[in-house]
Amino acid sequence: MNYKRGDILVMIMALSLVAALFATLWGDSRRGEEVRILAGDKQLALVSLSGHREIRVDGPLGTSTLEIDNGRIRFADSPCANKVCVHDGWASRGGEVVACLPNRVSVAILGGEYRFDAINF
Amino acid sequence: MLKWLSGVFIALLLNGCAKEPLYQEQLFTFGTLVNISIWGEDEAVARHAVDELAHDFDVMHRDWHAWHPGPLVSLNEQLLARQEAVVPPELLPLMQQSLALYQASGGLFDPAIGRLLQLWGFEADVPPAGPPPADAAVQALLARRPTLGDVELHDNVVRSSNPNIWLDFGAVAKGYGVDKAVDRLRALGIRNAIVVAGGDLKVVGARGDRPWRIGVRHPRGSDILASLNASSGECILTSGDYERYYEFEGQRYHHVLDPRSGYPARGAVSATVIHNSAATADAAATALLVAGPQQWYATARAMGIKYVMLVDQAGTVHMNPAMARRIHFEVDPLPRIELSDEL
Repeated sequence: MNYKRGDILVMIMALSLVAALFATLWGDSRRGEEVRILAGDKQLALVSLSGHREIRVDGPLGTSTLEIDNGRIRFADSPCANKVCVHDGWASRGGEVVACLPNRVSVAILGGEYRFDAINF
Repeated sequence: MLKWLSGVFIALLLNGCAKEPLYQEQLFTFGTLVNISIWGEDEAVARHAVDELAHDFDVMHRDWHAWHPGPLVSLNEQLLARQEAVVPPELLPLMQQSLALYQASGGLFDPAIGRLLQLWGFEADVPPAGPPPADAAVQALLARRPTLGDVELHDNVVRSSNPNIWLDFGAVAKGYGVDKAVDRLRALGIRNAIVVAGGDLKVVGARGDRPWRIGVRHPRGSDILASLNASSGECILTSGDYERYYEFEGQRYHHVLDPRSGYPARGAVSATVIHNSAATADAAATALLVAGPQQWYATARAMGIKYVMLVDQAGTVHMNPAMARRIHFEVDPLPRIELSDEL
């Protein structure tokens, strides 16, 4: 069977549409896409949550190490006493915030469908 | 067909690119992390409002700090030396509200126990690592009975009959600051927002066509215990034993001290309150944590609180029926629940 260029284009677009609909309707729409990293009161960076990498952020106590791993982020290490930020573990959903208060470093996940608009604690 | 598909694609792309009118900022201020979310305003308007709040919070932090040089330390020193002082205007409303809340709580919320907090090391910005103070030292301080009941306020003049008091408004100031921040947002014309200071929050308006949705953190672990929708003007505040604490020889020592025993409150691990005044909710959450599973109901009634959720050390959730009607649990299996009478 011979396909014309237009037929192939239609098929490619149809397959892409299925993929897009799958991602939209069945994917985890709550997952955030970017993370805002704050050092002190200044936004240090707005970075993608994709891939795997470590980011080092300097604060008044020393260097906090953030780890990004395919859509999620955590404090891998921080020079604070109680390590609350490290114990908080991975964050991946839009609206989640993890902070190291003593070292004044925070990460806030942007994008995705917010499950909660704010967390009370 | 091709045109139709292209149309769908463009619609999907546009949908994907549509930006929600939500502006969010985090600020390290007020001794904590403050999160501000503003919905439905131009970015420039929202950014200006956040700048104003950042300044306000810095001023409040300086004015109300009980241990860094400033108006409150100065007031405490005057009370210590002369047992009488003029309350500066930036502290007067906080003092007036605290006196009323102290009375209503039956003394379970007591901002005059600064010396006790200092003995435990919880006055410091960085939580202590232990060990706890010697029991003899706690009992010696307790025997001198420092309470806000020793303080009289007439107009703007405060007198103390007890030289052992030291005012530390830490258990009410965060809530009061959130109230003031929301007042400021409203004055700036912001109609839909949430202000969260270290977990204490107040909402205005809604998020578009739905109410603001709030998750309440589980007192053990970082999961969400429950969620609820907040109406405009409502505050949700929790006091818990997990916020500032240290462990020494297997025992947890947290920062909410029971003014009656001089030791960290026992019995409850968290107390969550909904109220229209964040200052009242803040003081009430502290008082209810101190009151514990046996006395929370009477304390809530005395303080005029209508929504309470208290988690005890066994993990049982104590609630009044009105709170239970609003709470949606986010944990599986459900915790054991004990309902009180209506408040």
